Amino acid sequence: MANVMAQNRRGGLKRYYDVNGWLFIAPALLLIGIFLIYPIISSLTLSVYSGRGMMMKFAGFGNLVRIYNDPIFWKALTNTFTFFIIQVPIMIVLALVIANALNNPKLRFSGLLRTAIFLPCVSSLVAYSILFKSMFSVDGIVNRTLIGLGLMDQPLNWLTDPFWAKVVVITAITWRWTGYNMIFYLAALQNIDRSIDEAARIDGVPSWGRFFYLTVPMLKPVILFTTITSTIGTLQLFDEVYSLTEGTGGPSNATLTLSLYIYNLTFRFMPNFGYAATISYVIVVLVALLSFLQFYAVRERR
Amino acid sequence: MSRSVFSDRHSARLFGAIRYGLLLLAAFLSVFPFFWMLIGATNITADINTGKVTPGSALFDNIRAFVAQVDVPLVLWNSAKIAILGTAVTILVSSIAGYGFEMFRSKLRDRIYTVILLTLMVPFAAIMIPLFMMMAKAGLIDTHLAIVLPTLASVFIIFYFRQASKAFPAELRDAAKIDGLKEWQIFLFIYVPVMRSTYAAAFVIVFMTSWNNYLWPLIVLQSNGTKTITLVVSSLASAYYPDYGVVMVGTVLATLPTLFVFFAMQRQFVQGMLGSVK
Amino acid sequence: MDTLPLKTFALRAALAGATLLAAAPAFAGEITIWCWDPNFNVAVMREAGARYTKAHPETTFNIVDFAKADVEQKLQTGLASGTTNALPDIVLIEDYGAQKFLQSFPDAFAPMTGKVDYSGFAPYKVELMTLEGKTYGMPFDSGVTGLFYRRDYLEQAGFKPADLENITWDRYIEIGKAVEAKTGKKMTTQELNNGGMTRIMMQSAGKWYFNADGELDVTGNAALKGALEAQAKMVKAGIVKPATGWNDYVNAFTSGDVASVVTGVWITGTIKAQTAQAGKWGVAPTPRLDMAGSTNASNLGGSSWYVIESSKEKDEAISFLAEIYGKDVEFYQKILADRGAVGSLTAARSGAVYQQADAFFGGEQVWQRFSDWLAKVPPVTYGIFTNELDNAVTANMQALIAGKPADEVLKDIEAQAQTQIQ
Repeated sequence: MANVMAQNRRGGLKRYYDVNGWLFIAPALLLIGIFLIYPIISSLTLSVYSGRGMMMKFAGFGNLVRIYNDPIFWKALTNTFTFFIIQVPIMIVLALVIANALNNPKLRFSGLLRTAIFLPCVSSLVAYSILFKSMFSVDGIVNRTLIGLGLMDQPLNWLTDPFWAKVVVITAITWRWTGYNMIFYLAALQNIDRSIDEAARIDGVPSWGRFFYLTVPMLKPVILFTTITSTIGTLQLFDEVYSLTEGTGGPSNATLTLSLYIYNLTFRFMPNFGYAATISYVIVVLVALLSFLQFYAVRERR
Repeated sequence: MSRSVFSDRHSARLFGAIRYGLLLLAAFLSVFPFFWMLIGATNITADINTGKVTPGSALFDNIRAFVAQVDVPLVLWNSAKIAILGTAVTILVSSIAGYGFEMFRSKLRDRIYTVILLTLMVPFAAIMIPLFMMMAKAGLIDTHLAIVLPTLASVFIIFYFRQASKAFPAELRDAAKIDGLKEWQIFLFIYVPVMRSTYAAAFVIVFMTSWNNYLWPLIVLQSNGTKTITLVVSSLASAYYPDYGVVMVGTVLATLPTLFVFFAMQRQFVQGMLGSVK
Repeated sequence: MDTLPLKTFALRAALAGATLLAAAPAFAGEITIWCWDPNFNVAVMREAGARYTKAHPETTFNIVDFAKADVEQKLQTGLASGTTNALPDIVLIEDYGAQKFLQSFPDAFAPMTGKVDYSGFAPYKVELMTLEGKTYGMPFDSGVTGLFYRRDYLEQAGFKPADLENITWDRYIEIGKAVEAKTGKKMTTQELNNGGMTRIMMQSAGKWYFNADGELDVTGNAALKGALEAQAKMVKAGIVKPATGWNDYVNAFTSGDVASVVTGVWITGTIKAQTAQAGKWGVAPTPRLDMAGSTNASNLGGSSWYVIESSKEKDEAISFLAEIYGKDVEFYQKILADRGAVGSLTAARSGAVYQQADAFFGGEQVWQRFSDWLAKVPPVTYGIFTNELDNAVTANMQALIAGKPADEVLKDIEAQAQTQIQ
């Protein structure tokens, strides 16, 4: 709309328009330039160096060769993708279903339920790591409950078993972020014209049918938005695994993610800032590719 | 006919029950850890470790021990200062930019916008070291300014305001122009009041992120006098023998402000989200 | 429209905001120290500072505590940034990481050869902070290990304290089985994601992941192989209660769930905090591997103080460390009595507190025993990649327990380690 206006008043107004345009974004551009773009460029230059701590030497493509031969890197990449492929769909579907269930004007206590489900995302990393670690310990409340319900005979070593540790991580991320995504869907649902849904209901379309063929397609832009932000979040996954495994990514590197590996290469292992920077650009390339694919997938069907 | 109405009503009732069941389960699972944190604050370490779910009698001992170890007013003041001032400036700078990108479109600015969006994909770990070197050169290590500066122009919030601005009625802008208002006056006196709830939602999100921020403050802050509540709780939890009752008191204290902000603004928050997803 | 008041208001608000945020600390003559546990080394440092201030009232101390991992992380960031105002004057570094810091940040730490009489300290502590003939840092606490056990449980299973003296790990497993059969309690607990037990067992035989030249020593390392096999055997024998993390681990023995734990002497304070268990505990020497060269003494952790070379207070910091940690025998009695910190200054062991019998441990002269074992800890070269190797070992532990032959597991560990240590 604004650019239509611009086209209408070329000439002197164009300059006025442009000056204002730059003025409005100038403070943000300045800050982004200094605190984001500049560090990004300097870490890119780091990625052609390698070495111990401050003893860095020019390595050219050396870091890329090392990535190729590094089994831990591939393990971290596989884990990151496992989390991404399993967790993002589960969370998106759950958030959609919950949002849809909440979006009913006749529902009692909907405000209360909505607040409760949103609550996890306000918790801080520190609080949440302390809580989850003790809940999933061998004598913890989760084991006690499951045994009490008769679902298990003996306690499960959640965080020391490679498979179950992954499950805990996925549970933890889902717990924290489902409510957050749900709010976006709920907001979008309330924007949707209810009369279409109503008409379909009168035509005898069952509620699951309305959900899949009416609601979901109308939410496509929001779903795309949340999927991309969740993709970025999952591929950069750090907080949850760092705090649940005391920084090790254990057991047997089963929960090691790319970001945690970068952290370890920078802070826990013999510091190799160049190699760490190189791996972080692998994440950038992956996120960019996946976001593009997701955009593409949505565009295609239009 | 009557049969189908019956079955429809029947299935509607069933659906209603499932809906409630699902929502209640989700709400319970979401809230339980918070409940458990509160219970934990009243128990001693041994009970917390064995998963005791009933309130104990150690609450006052835990609070006393916490207050003895931590300068509570100071760390809360540090956290609040960073979160409130940081959030206010972040929202101002980022909303101005989001508004600017949407209202004054040009090819070049749209390209710049795309580049900015791409930076969302760079993990923080990648820029941490250069950023730290910068702060050190500027002499800002161990100041709260160093924590706030890199967050002031939030790409996500710029994006959020640009999306929301699409819903800002053009007629309002045109009318204001005819009245002779300058662009910044339109923004300040018309856009900001109209977009109140968008601002509220942004406030909740930015405040939460800022209050809970851990990694960057950890690296930048050096002395006891500047530490935030999150850092203090984390260091309590990592002793050779952490007193978990005390740690729980700390986590409750660290969580309360974000809960308070959310509850205080939750109506505007949900409304504000509406704008961003159009 | 009058915009002026609004502008000045905005400006004033901005200024107020900026000054609020930029409040910077630091006075002259102040020694800043980073360390981690408020009940242990932080408290010890406060005591040391208080003693020094008595003689030098112009010096003040700023002791800052962070989580242990956070201290390392901040140090590494500060050193990497190459700026001196980002660092403290003194920092505590765990011994395993000492060489990593000394070698990857040359000239970052102040050499103290000639300013401190290192001959008075346990040799293994001095060796790990020496690089190319220069010694950096002030040796602090020792991580000499011992077998902490519940007298009551072992008695119930028919074992006397003498039965635990100088045993092998195989014997330990047998005792463990008997204890579980009689008391229903597991013999011990272990954090399976942590390489601590491997390090204890390996060092008891004077070996490490690396040889004295810092080269990888895995596939041919009999001590490492023995350590891995002993742990797999313990798990398979069912005498281990697995722990998911540090807190779970500590909880297992403080709550009375397990009958014993083998770990560093620094855990003593934690165990003694369980006042209800007074008199029920005992200490015995660390079990040894069933192989030639393995002794009944080892080490886990321990840390030392380092002075930053570029610090403005460098000289003051060194003289402070030399005066208190270097020779104050009384100080060592105090921190031992108050905090259970076993220093590595040999002269301190003649002090009164070291001779005391401890009723909590059934009247044993616990400290005397630990200092006897301390003298027997085989010195090893920790090298610079201990964290990487720990990671490789724990990553392959599951396969070993699942039944993969130890030699093959060692090959896997070596293969993983090789890509990590370039």
